[in-house]
Amino acid sequence: MSSSRDDFSIAFRSALLQRGAAQKFSLVFLIIIASIIFFLDVYGFGFMKPIRSIINDGIYRVSLVASSPSRFLPHATSGITNFINIKKENEKLKKELEVFKMKELNVEFLSNQNKNLMKILESEESYLKKENMILSKVLIDKESPYLKSIIINRGSKSGILKGMPVTDKDYLVGRIVETNYLSSRVLLLNDLNSRIPVTFGNEGVQAILKGIGGNRPILEYLPEDFIVDEGIDVFTSGKDGIFFPGTPIGTTTEDGEVKLFTESSQLSFVKVDISNKDSEDF
Amino acid sequence: MRSIRILSKLINLGPLILLYYLSISEIDSHFENYFEILSFNIQLIIIYFWVSKRPEVLGSGHIFFAGLINDVVMGFPLGASSLSYLVVSLVATYIKNMTVNTRITTDWFSFFIGIFFSNLVFFFLLLNFSEIVINFTEISYNTFFTILFFPFFWFIFTYYNSIITTGKNA
Repeated sequence: MSSSRDDFSIAFRSALLQRGAAQKFSLVFLIIIASIIFFLDVYGFGFMKPIRSIINDGIYRVSLVASSPSRFLPHATSGITNFINIKKENEKLKKELEVFKMKELNVEFLSNQNKNLMKILESEESYLKKENMILSKVLIDKESPYLKSIIINRGSKSGILKGMPVTDKDYLVGRIVETNYLSSRVLLLNDLNSRIPVTFGNEGVQAILKGIGGNRPILEYLPEDFIVDEGIDVFTSGKDGIFFPGTPIGTTTEDGEVKLFTESSQLSFVKVDISNKDSEDF
Repeated sequence: MRSIRILSKLINLGPLILLYYLSISEIDSHFENYFEILSFNIQLIIIYFWVSKRPEVLGSGHIFFAGLINDVVMGFPLGASSLSYLVVSLVATYIKNMTVNTRITTDWFSFFIGIFFSNLVFFFLLLNFSEIVINFTEISYNTFFTILFFPFFWFIFTYYNSIITTGKNA
């Protein structure tokens, strides 16, 4: 019995302390270093923020380069497919062009009408009035069972602060949770950590949109005995003072979930609303 | 002769390059587009296999750095993945020290122990010292499929191990 315990302790000690021919550090040394780094990062010591920011920026750029072959392959495949189908498409387009020429005059009329209507609708707090928008490219959108987030190529240099809302085609996709000098991390609406105040329906029901890790976030803190109807559009309520009221998010399903207007895995470019400069306090 | 030597060096560095590449690139083993719950962690399999079979291929320092890179890309506190990887490495080294001949079944079982302790450390750190909320169901699926796919990678890596020259002639 005692000899087996001795064997265990010898083997365990050896595993922790030994350094093979190619090993420069023992495991115990690296475990201690990793623990120190972890606690320095978690407890947010002042000097760690710029260090982490520099490391993040560097690694995100390298990650972008390293991921380029995987991005290129689907593009190349679709390019070949497009090339094969281009003749058929060309004939189809010629026919469509004739139809579009016919519609051109009609479109001009409609766009003028639209501009006039936009002027009428425009107000101080409307989501339509967003002058301070920054277009950003999605650098990394690595799927993870842990976090649903993306990395964008704009950071504090461009005026991005923590908490700022991020949209895609005017639909809310998430908010900034981490800023570096040249990049930022966006927490998507379907992440477990995401909570957004929303409103929906003719009665303007208030609720909290909570991510559950899956594709569809759920509505929480609804009025008592409230039954969610299917197909109602959900908008930000702006109660938190961070998001513009009326930014479209998605539509309700009968299970109380929200089907988002944007597909988080299909994001290439997003817009960050930098008009709220108090977002860092969020 | 020189080109053969370079090729041989590259082959020897294969597992290390793969580990770094998986940690830093967007390529991942999360296939929710094909099957909603299918995801697995190849990094843990690489670390466990190569540390237990040919530790000179993957240095502990490289495992540590791959963990740091993974933390940055995934948005975890720095050091969390490193500790998780080092725990797997520790279990693999211990098993290597305690056993003489291993088969796929013994490796599979001991990998289960390794991943158990690795996840235990990871969850402990995230739940107690971080504000990140994690979905245990998805992580359970991830762990399950990682264990399930281990034999598949075991055969691939065993074949690769037979063509590696590090530790044989060098």
